[in-house]
Amino acid sequence: MRDTFVKTLLAEAKVDPNVVLITGDLGFGVLEEFEKELPSQFINSGVAEQSMIGLASGIASTGKRVFVYSIGNFPTIRALEQIRNDVCYMNNPVVIVAVGSGYSYGSHGYTHHALEDIAAMRALPNMNVVSPADPVETEVLTRFLVKDRSPSYLRLGRSGEKVLNRNIPDIVEGRFNRIFSGEDGVILFTGSIGGNVIAAREALMSRGIEISIYSVPFISKISAIDLQALDNTKPIVVVEEHTIRGGLTSAVLEEIALSRLEMRIIPVTAKQNNLGNIGNQSYLRDINGLGVDLIASYFLER
Amino acid sequence: MRYGLAKTASDAEALAKAARIEILKMTSRAQASHVGSALSVVDILSSLYAGGANIRNDNADSVDRDIVLLSKGHAASALYSVLAIQGFFPLDYLQSYCEDGAILGGHVTSTGVNGVELSTGSLGHGLPYGIGIALSRKLYGMEGNIFVVMSDGECDEGTTWESALLANHHKLNNLIVIIDRNRIQSLKDTEETLRLEPFKDKWEAFGWKVHELDGHNHLYLLAAINETCDGPKVIIAKTTKGSGVSFMENSVLWHYRSPNSTELDSAIDEVLAEK
Repeated sequence: MRDTFVKTLLAEAKVDPNVVLITGDLGFGVLEEFEKELPSQFINSGVAEQSMIGLASGIASTGKRVFVYSIGNFPTIRALEQIRNDVCYMNNPVVIVAVGSGYSYGSHGYTHHALEDIAAMRALPNMNVVSPADPVETEVLTRFLVKDRSPSYLRLGRSGEKVLNRNIPDIVEGRFNRIFSGEDGVILFTGSIGGNVIAAREALMSRGIEISIYSVPFISKISAIDLQALDNTKPIVVVEEHTIRGGLTSAVLEEIALSRLEMRIIPVTAKQNNLGNIGNQSYLRDINGLGVDLIASYFLER
Repeated sequence: MRYGLAKTASDAEALAKAARIEILKMTSRAQASHVGSALSVVDILSSLYAGGANIRNDNADSVDRDIVLLSKGHAASALYSVLAIQGFFPLDYLQSYCEDGAILGGHVTSTGVNGVELSTGSLGHGLPYGIGIALSRKLYGMEGNIFVVMSDGECDEGTTWESALLANHHKLNNLIVIIDRNRIQSLKDTEETLRLEPFKDKWEAFGWKVHELDGHNHLYLLAAINETCDGPKVIIAKTTKGSGVSFMENSVLWHYRSPNSTELDSAIDEVLAEK
């Protein structure tokens, strides 16, 4: 996802000189080409995330579309008040890009696990929280964000994510993106945990169970129309690599309440009780309630 | 500067005097805090809006205007008074300061207020934002200076020193920081709270051009503002909190208190009596 984002942004920035990329001193082996090709549209602000966000918003106020790149919680929670006041209150066109959603940086430890970032960003006014599921969605959404002017948060995995979308999807802002259809239940998910979701679907297929899969790339704009269209006689499972507090599950439940929808969901979210856990992403997903078997189990007789 | 230094300084003097009276009335009427902070910074803002900065109501939308950010957002009454007197918005707006449904609140907001470039109120935000504008203008060939007016207490914030590095690194000679050095912060003297001295040395060590001067002297302020240099510049404006009203001067109390009607009358008399 990371490489797709940078490649797409570079292509867009070559034709739009108003695109500026700022890094908080991260992106080794990832951002060099951008810097080399477009040095005047690239700034390394140093390891100073709070000032970086203020800086980005100041630049954005002069008519630029500014992308701020860092990893984990550094460009979000570390700089939360700067995002709230300088970006959202001023409503300036800044896109905050965090690489390393969920347990992407698993072995780096809890400081590097992004499990509360959606909650923090989703709480802010004017903020569009955007979370692609795979490299295909990443490309489409990066292009969307270059054209858009809203303060935004782009939540990316790291690298090696499988392609889940078989075609280039026609993604509409605020709508779900259906990746697979099926009659035996529904999974709504966001982000790179889609890899496990698809694996769960495949496991169920071998048992004759076929479920629908929807990616939810716009977390701060949940569509009541899309929710209403789901078959609520079968399980509706919401999967996210984020705590249950304030993420996709919360967003869906809020929309259900506000639109008075008659439906129930089953949340599958990251546990937060073993903060010192170390291991790769797959291991940490497994032990924190996001494993493939667990996801699949909600569609079996229990 | 459109006119000579002396003429601009005398305009600034008159502007500051008129603004002081508005500040006193606003804070008294609204029973709002921070009158001391506003009186402390009002000469700095007056110097800028009387011509020290190239920003007037008639060029407020031009891309090469000078930009003034009041980072110490709690001194909102000073900025609002100066802007209203200079015609950026109707003087009437000042009457409803801090009231229910008012346009102007206790901390600087840009929402619906002509002339205000950045909403502030949490300290340490103005400088990084100003650096963003200054850097963008430098990178993309736009004219105009950026002025960031800060408090000295604000220099406790980490972003101030992150920014000190950033501005010097990018040699932002279109950036001028003016620090309202009244030496009093929320509870006590700055030096008792979190020592800033040797203050000038710190900025110089970060590579900034430093001026230290009387922050109530418009001629000195304007001369320092006008001087060109090849990197960022900071003016440490030595000021008196509550300046112009003897019983408010150098007192933490007037960071919070607002004048009652008797105090208001005597405060206005003092301001008017000053030459």
